[in-house]
Amino acid sequence: MASLHSSTRKFITRDEWERKLKEVKIRKEDMNRLIMNFLVTEGYVDAAEKFRLESGTEPDIDLATITDRMAVKMAVQSGNVQDAIEKINDLNPEILDTNPELYFHLQQQKLIELIRMGKIEQALEFAQDELAPRGEENPAFLEEIEKTVALLAFDDVKNSPYGGLLDMSQRMKTASEVNAAILTSQSHEKDPKLPSLLKMLIWAQNQLDEKAVYPRINDLSTAKLEDPAV
Amino acid sequence: MVTSEESSTPSDPSRIDLARLAARWRSEAEWATVDFGLDAEPEPSELNTLNSSGLFHVVSTDKMSVRYVTNQHHGHDVGVVQANYPAPTKRTAYYFEMTVKNAGLKGQCSIGFTTDGFKMCRQPGWEVNSCGYHGDDGYLYRGQGKGESFGPTFTSGDTIGAGINYISQEFFFTKNGNIVGSFPKEIKGLLYPTIAVHSQNEELTVNFGKEPFVFDFEAYIYEERLKLQLLAEKSPLQSGLTHWIVRSYLLHYGYQDTLASFENASDANPSSALVNGFGGQLEYALNHRKVLRQFINSGDIDSAFQKLREWYPSAVQDDNSVICFLLHSQRFIEYIRREELEAAVNYGRAHLAKYYHNKAFASLLTDTAALLAYKIPLYSCVGYLLGSRQREFVADAVNAAVLATNPNSKDQEGCMVSCLEKLLRQLTVCTLERRNLADEDHGEAFFLHRDLSWQSRHG
Repeated sequence: MASLHSSTRKFITRDEWERKLKEVKIRKEDMNRLIMNFLVTEGYVDAAEKFRLESGTEPDIDLATITDRMAVKMAVQSGNVQDAIEKINDLNPEILDTNPELYFHLQQQKLIELIRMGKIEQALEFAQDELAPRGEENPAFLEEIEKTVALLAFDDVKNSPYGGLLDMSQRMKTASEVNAAILTSQSHEKDPKLPSLLKMLIWAQNQLDEKAVYPRINDLSTAKLEDPAV
Repeated sequence: MVTSEESSTPSDPSRIDLARLAARWRSEAEWATVDFGLDAEPEPSELNTLNSSGLFHVVSTDKMSVRYVTNQHHGHDVGVVQANYPAPTKRTAYYFEMTVKNAGLKGQCSIGFTTDGFKMCRQPGWEVNSCGYHGDDGYLYRGQGKGESFGPTFTSGDTIGAGINYISQEFFFTKNGNIVGSFPKEIKGLLYPTIAVHSQNEELTVNFGKEPFVFDFEAYIYEERLKLQLLAEKSPLQSGLTHWIVRSYLLHYGYQDTLASFENASDANPSSALVNGFGGQLEYALNHRKVLRQFINSGDIDSAFQKLREWYPSAVQDDNSVICFLLHSQRFIEYIRREELEAAVNYGRAHLAKYYHNKAFASLLTDTAALLAYKIPLYSCVGYLLGSRQREFVADAVNAAVLATNPNSKDQEGCMVSCLEKLLRQLTVCTLERRNLADEDHGEAFFLHRDLSWQSRHG
């Protein structure tokens, strides 16, 4: 990393910086759009509806589709994978057809749930009939299958090497993947814009640190300007 | 527009500077200059006939084509033409194309970039501070007579593009929609898109973007921006921060119903570090602010006024204050909206006339009064006042005024600018400053409006 001696970097006073900040023109409606985009992408249907009423901002996607998407997400989060798969196909049969990785992860989750419920025989049958063929097509899938099936070898599954697969976080991961795939199929950005902008701010400040000493915002939750260190 | 600095009434520390509100109205024209004002640059639009030699070639009347008209004798009779403006730099990349209408006798046409003061009788790339991709040999020339093998040759019917990538600081060329290659840009300063013809009957047509490009330049820019975004994505974000910022935005502006629903549906519990922030201060008068906003959004200014007098008399005590002015002018606007012209005139005489002495209110006042002049005010140049943006402006002003009455308010700033807005301003200034301090001020700075329009075009 380049040396950060203050003498080689431009010093910008607080007054100067605040003057520059004042010059930036931001439209309220654009900020409203960011908020709406967040509510919609993350699936807060009711909040999005309320926000539309309170602010007059139009959602960038049909709110009705959010409810469907959230139902699928919920199904995965509750471990009802078959239900989720059926719902996805109801929404748009092409999603799973065009997303082999997603379909595989759903199948894997199904296997995990069977193991969690102790349905060993059913789990084995499922693994052999449905998952093994996928593993043959794709070596990456094979590795995942092996990890999952390995769970069956242990009495104390939770504490086995791949016990993490039984965690809620695994369900969340699959649920997130489903959410993203549905959004993409609806030609919508799968990630909300707001967190990206926040990361961009962190990155932009780090980049500027190389060239200047200026009032930083170190705590994004308060947006408080820190006086530049002399 | 309204500014408190210009006001002739004595300054009052609790006065809010409404000019700083994000909802502050501006005409579409004003927004156009303001949105990318800092990044606006002239762009090449046609060929420059004034500085080319005119000895060996002829440029068409529409200045979009050039043809070699004499016989080639040596290496100093190239018909070379530059664009009328240099390539703009305050963006991710710049690109233009040319089509070989006729490769003529020897197909020695070329495309590239040159600087001011280029010898206007040489091929781009044959002199220092220039580069060119030549059709006869497919070679790249970058500053000397000897070139290097670079790509395919090109001839009649081919479309060749040349571009500058300001992020990677490279030149790149395309042929018929495909990238041929790229190499580091070592030339500094303004670069003019340049094309050249050198043998009998060679003819080229140029495209500076008015027509769609053969190469998918939009996709190229999208890819480049994505690369940058991916770099930024690696920054760690405090867990729950986004939720917190959404929450504080809703609190700040008084969107109470949305907030309630959002908090209800969020499973994330904000970490204690976040809760100890400014959140408490923002909860002040939440319900009242929501109610006031609702009144204003529905055009019921009388109720808004009444409630303000009842709940926060100090905010509307001084009839000469900005808040009162805005509310009165909005009331007038609502009369116009409902086509109650007589009522509007009476109201104006009773309540708006007194503001004429105040310079600060002048422009809004003039525009407001002007509504009377039109049969269909909505289609007039002051029609913007009848839109929901103006109502939002007034609602945000009232919101700020109420927040300012909070006895526990730790700082004035808090009422005017939400946390999100502060962060967005900081982001914009950081990217602008970084560009300013770089060797050459190349590349795009962050502008929210432009960023969002990009988003909506590319889904």
